[in-house]
Amino acid sequence: MERVSFWKKIKKTWDFSRRLPVIPIVIMFVLIVCALFADLSWLGLPDIRLAPYEANEMSLSDRLTPPFFMPGGSTEHILGTDNIGRDILSRMIFGARVSLSVSLLVIVIASVIGTVLGMSAGYARGRTDAFIMRVTDAAMAFPALLIALLLAVSLGPSFKTVVLALSALSWAPYARMMRGEVIKIREEDFIAQARITGASPARILIKHVFPNVVNTLVVLMTMSVGLVILIEASLSFLGAGVPATTPTWGSMASEGRDKIVKGWWISLFPSLAIGLVVLSCNFLGDWIRDRMDPRLRQL
Amino acid sequence: MARFIIIRMFQTLVTLIVISMVVFALARASGDPVMLMAPAQASMADIEALRQYLGLDKSLPEQYWVFLKNVAKGDLGESIRTRRPVATIIGERLPYTIQLGLPAIFIGIFVSLILGVTAAVKRGTWVDTAVKFIAILGQALPSFWLAIVAIQIFAVSLSWLPTSGTGGPDHFILPVLTLSFFMLPIMTRLVRSSMLEVLDSEYVKLARIKGLSEMLVVWKHALRNAIIPLLTAAGITFATIVTGAVIIETVFAWPGIGRLIAEAVVGRDFPVTQAVVLLVAVMVLVVNLVVDILYAYVDPRIRY
Repeated sequence: MERVSFWKKIKKTWDFSRRLPVIPIVIMFVLIVCALFADLSWLGLPDIRLAPYEANEMSLSDRLTPPFFMPGGSTEHILGTDNIGRDILSRMIFGARVSLSVSLLVIVIASVIGTVLGMSAGYARGRTDAFIMRVTDAAMAFPALLIALLLAVSLGPSFKTVVLALSALSWAPYARMMRGEVIKIREEDFIAQARITGASPARILIKHVFPNVVNTLVVLMTMSVGLVILIEASLSFLGAGVPATTPTWGSMASEGRDKIVKGWWISLFPSLAIGLVVLSCNFLGDWIRDRMDPRLRQL
Repeated sequence: MARFIIIRMFQTLVTLIVISMVVFALARASGDPVMLMAPAQASMADIEALRQYLGLDKSLPEQYWVFLKNVAKGDLGESIRTRRPVATIIGERLPYTIQLGLPAIFIGIFVSLILGVTAAVKRGTWVDTAVKFIAILGQALPSFWLAIVAIQIFAVSLSWLPTSGTGGPDHFILPVLTLSFFMLPIMTRLVRSSMLEVLDSEYVKLARIKGLSEMLVVWKHALRNAIIPLLTAAGITFATIVTGAVIIETVFAWPGIGRLIAEAVVGRDFPVTQAVVLLVAVMVLVVNLVVDILYAYVDPRIRY
């Protein structure tokens, strides 16, 4: 008996990891390592760091150094420096922190809000449902970037504002998807039986409905990581993101914009980093969707 | 039909009220505007007078009512930075965005129709893969990146086109093309999947059996029906173009409303930001409303 279940487990793991997207996983791994070990200030050891320089370390004599493969470049600044002599590579490594922490926080907050609202709407139906769905429609109809800009102006740019703005925009798709799922599940017999045994709506939702929608939820969460990173980058690019003392990929791309003639590398490398990470997230999301909930696949 | 239109209009109105409330609430969350506007040497009495003048001493519901009345009159307040009426500023800037947005939408629709239909017809071949590749890439790359690269190549290295600003027709080429690229990935995907569904239908088979040329079957019989579901995406497309305009206008120093809002954000000019957001909200909602009504008109199965 033991052996059979053991082999079954192996087979299950194998099935799950079929056509594993290796390159995206490696890129995400690098991203996480960069974010964690850019420096160890969170462990009280700010001197031990992965980044060759500190994020805001300037050396004016080295400004506008091209990347190492260009004439005039050196391996001291592998990806070159910007117009006040800050090391591009180091800033990118520190920038990974913002992308990763913002997207993780936003997705957790948005999925919790969206799931609670969507599940209540789908289970309660009637007026509650109509009201929640109207609000959801309003939130979905609106250009996400604009609301985020509005929040950035009214609350002032900060890490909290960015997270708040992006969460306020991203919960709606979760609510809509969860509602649809719950509407289907609530008609099932086992829900009716739970109701007969006297379970409260909250208990039914948590114990009986939620386990059946968790796959869809996970798929939706992974598929939206890329989008959140992109909007965060756009916000930083427009100067409405995390304050400028913290390097982010979006703000780096923006800083290099007017130096494009003298230093194209300043904005190109951070933009490429954004593209690569978002692409990896999307591929990972697709893969998880195919494994966990292939129904969500579009043609 | 009339019932459907009335319900739909009522819903739009409710959504609009919700959005105006959110915008209003945010306006009050931005801290005391009086402190922002009053000169540093103003006395307490001056500040109190200014507060009364601006109507900020009244209760919140009253303030909201005044705000609604002013908006209805077209009075959107005045810019904190330039002290000019916001409505005038928007009136100056909007034509630039329209000049940029309209051609971008047309080019975007045209190109995505061609790409999407070709990909659907040649499903599974390298053409399909190439189109999918473009769509995936277009969705992943940051929107400002393409604009920066385009400037780098065509304006800086080759110096064929100006880097930014307005002027002759050559100033339009890069911004319009990069802006149209914004809607390309989503539209192409939608066209492709809608087309795949239609190509599988009985009437397309019948058209083929009748012996019509493949050209006619695909581009006339199939495409006409494939376009209908795309109507619903018009609202999303519009919102995408607006978002795109904010970024493209910033990159190309184009004096439209996208740049206006970006500038207002940096200068923390709340009245301007608030007005532009409201304006865009109204436009998005109206587009959605018109599209829904059109859709119900085209496809009589859609009813409440």
